[in-house]
Amino acid sequence: MKLWPALLLVGLAAAGAREPAIRDLSIALDGVQVLVSFQLENGLSAELTERIESGLPSGFVYELALARDRKRWWDDGLASSRIEVVAMYNAVTHEFLVNTKQDGRLLDSRTITDRAGLERAMTRFTALPAFTLEDPSPDERYLVRTRVELAPGEVLGFIPMRRTTSWVESNKVRVRR
Amino acid sequence: MDFRQKFELRRRDARWVAAVLGLLLLILTVLYYLIQRGRDLPETLVTNRVLLFVLRNVNALLILIILFVLARNLLKLWLERRSRALGARFKTKLVATYIGLSLVPVLILFFYASELLQGAVDRWFSGSLRSVLEGSATIAQELQEEISRRNLRDANRIARAVQGENLADPEVRAATTRKLAAWRQELGADFLALYEETEFVQAVLDPSSGLEDLPEVGRSFLLAVAETGRGEKVLVPAGGRGRVILAGAGGFRPSGGRRNLIVVGTLLDPRIASKSEELIESYQSYRQLEIQKGQFKASYLLMFVLVTLLILLASSWMGLYLARRLMAPIEALAEGTRRISSGDLDRRVEVAADDEMAGVVDSFNRMTEELARNRELIDRNQRELVATNRTLAEERALVGAILENLAAGVLALDAEGRVLTVNGAAERMLRQRADELVGRPIREAWADSERSRLAALVATPAGSSPAQVSLVLGGERRTFEAKLTDLPGEAGVPAGRVLVLEDLTDLIKAQKLAAWTEAARRIAHEIKNPLTPIRLAAERLRARHRQGGEGLAELVEPSVDIIVREVATMQGLVDEFSRYARMPGPQLAATRFEKLIAEVLALYREVKPGVDVRAAAGADLGEAWVDPEQIRRVLINLIDNAIEATEPPGQILVSAERRDETLELAVADTGRGIPPEDRDKLFLPFFSRKGRGTGMGLAIVQRIVSDHAGTIRVEDNRPRGSVFRVELPVGGRSGT
Repeated sequence: MKLWPALLLVGLAAAGAREPAIRDLSIALDGVQVLVSFQLENGLSAELTERIESGLPSGFVYELALARDRKRWWDDGLASSRIEVVAMYNAVTHEFLVNTKQDGRLLDSRTITDRAGLERAMTRFTALPAFTLEDPSPDERYLVRTRVELAPGEVLGFIPMRRTTSWVESNKVRVRR
Repeated sequence: MDFRQKFELRRRDARWVAAVLGLLLLILTVLYYLIQRGRDLPETLVTNRVLLFVLRNVNALLILIILFVLARNLLKLWLERRSRALGARFKTKLVATYIGLSLVPVLILFFYASELLQGAVDRWFSGSLRSVLEGSATIAQELQEEISRRNLRDANRIARAVQGENLADPEVRAATTRKLAAWRQELGADFLALYEETEFVQAVLDPSSGLEDLPEVGRSFLLAVAETGRGEKVLVPAGGRGRVILAGAGGFRPSGGRRNLIVVGTLLDPRIASKSEELIESYQSYRQLEIQKGQFKASYLLMFVLVTLLILLASSWMGLYLARRLMAPIEALAEGTRRISSGDLDRRVEVAADDEMAGVVDSFNRMTEELARNRELIDRNQRELVATNRTLAEERALVGAILENLAAGVLALDAEGRVLTVNGAAERMLRQRADELVGRPIREAWADSERSRLAALVATPAGSSPAQVSLVLGGERRTFEAKLTDLPGEAGVPAGRVLVLEDLTDLIKAQKLAAWTEAARRIAHEIKNPLTPIRLAAERLRARHRQGGEGLAELVEPSVDIIVREVATMQGLVDEFSRYARMPGPQLAATRFEKLIAEVLALYREVKPGVDVRAAAGADLGEAWVDPEQIRRVLINLIDNAIEATEPPGQILVSAERRDETLELAVADTGRGIPPEDRDKLFLPFFSRKGRGTGMGLAIVQRIVSDHAGTIRVEDNRPRGSVFRVELPVGGRSGT
């Protein structure tokens, strides 16, 4: 009698485990530069991989928001940024071209020949200089929130629906005096 | 907003609808054109994600707009129907008919087309096609990979041969480079190159291979090979013809040194490369389409839905438009009717219709004009009626006031003899209140023995001479003069009667008193006249007797004669008066007047020379119920007076005439006439201007006539003389 609920829970847990999510979000300061590191887990799904390998340009849009930490009130939003990662596959040369843009400006363009490299290029960011603190204060603590906008879903088969992960909050850093 | 403005708006609306329908047709045409052209479009464009996204969203947006407009129209229709607006049911039926007529075929077409599309798309992505494309792509890729594997194997072999060589040594470097040409020839490769990690050392290529220049291997490739010991790459050679399939391999890395790398390249024949790429790209395109199959179907389905909804929208609009167009004149007429019912007859329905409705609208407007004219006429008549009524009311009040203040009693009767009104004087005269009379038949109201005689009088024909009626009311005898007059009615039929009563009791009393006074005076006078000679004769006799009686004897005879004569005169007077007082009532008998007149006239033939007494020729008078002896006396008295008053030559004409129920006797003379001041006294006893006679003749005449319920009056004769006219009822009535 208790088998079906247990199976249901296991199924839900398994389904939840495969959902894309931002992991290991951390920030560091290099002077006034805010360096962001994170990775997207389960981002490169089978459907997306198939889509990319079919030659359709596909990818993610990461939304980053820099905020000033406030203990007794909502955090003060300072800036936001969009990181767009689009991959395209060339079946003739067996290469993946991965372009990374920040707020429409090309950051990186690289050619990758293997899937592991493709996943790394699309989902892992290390010390990405995402923001510049304009008027940093040693008394303030700063943090970054991130989420990713996935390929749009559909309602009733034809109504486009925006799909995003939930916001993830980074550690809080303070500017050195 | 008047009807013309509404109609103009509707005309503009019609133009607008035509424009929308035209636009709809244009959209459908463009859609059809695009679908037709879509077959020729590059698949990359058709399956472009952005294009699909835009198309899908535009479709969705259009569908929402159409649904909104359709829902709005239907909601308005529902609201109109709910509020029982004029024409709502008609509009609903028309729209439902249009939608129903279009819905069934459109839905059938939609589902058929959808199924057709689904089937077509599924056939496009059939397993056989996929296996063919996949196989072709695999073959093409296998060809490249086979070449790549062979190159890699060769590169590994050569790399092992050169591994550990210190290429920094010029001699080793020269010897190694010399071997490269032999190795390339031995391997049959089109390109062979030696690198010390990323540093180019030497390369050879087959001049007959078609390669025009050394391929640019790329630093990243060399780094990857140096790192992993192997690598494969396909690149486009200089000149862009064919593809160069590269494979790189490296030997071991000497301690502290750099790895020697060998890159072997084979130029794939441009034709084979091109075909190979086409096959691979075709497969890729197929995969892309397959991935987007759902979106592809959805877009086409959306297109069908869009067309379906457009048709439904067009049909519902057309239904609404036609309904509005048909309903416009009807609504205008209804509005006009509502205005008319609210009293506004000045507004006209102005609908520029050119069909049968124009006739209806025209008739309606003419009817409205006619109504306006009639209402104006009615208003005017009403105003006149009000004025007339006011005048009538005033006149009625005046008449009422006059009637109430009249000394005469007035009763109005309707044609059935029912009392309509009675004035105060009549109430007092008849000792009856108005509520005892008004509304009751006169015979019922006057059923008692006294008043019934008045009721009988009312039943006689109107227009006759006033009748005197003496009634005992409340124990008191009252004498009335009753005059009956017909009220004029339609077609000569009297609408009723008016009875006017004059109370003559006091007048008669006064007249009697005056008559008796006059009679007393006359009697005194008449008695005094003979008394004087008697007294004189007696005094003369007494004086002669006192003187001694001388000549007394001679005087006695004449004096006694005088006394006897005068006493006889006095006796005559007394007898006459006694006879007048004792005159009996009339003994009525059927009497023929012609005969009676002839008998009387026979007495007067040649009575007075020069005076012609004769009867006028008349029609048959028939019989009348009178006392013939009394009437004879009337005639004799009147003729005596006429002869007395007429000097020769003269004429006395006796005539009789029958008028319905009365008979009029007239005795006309050509004598000296009667002065007006004497006319009132003519019928009084002892009144005489003749100087002889008793003066009782006319009094007796008037008494006899009155006893016969008749009247007598005197008029001037033309050109001279007098006429005495006697009216007698032929039915034998007798007055009291």
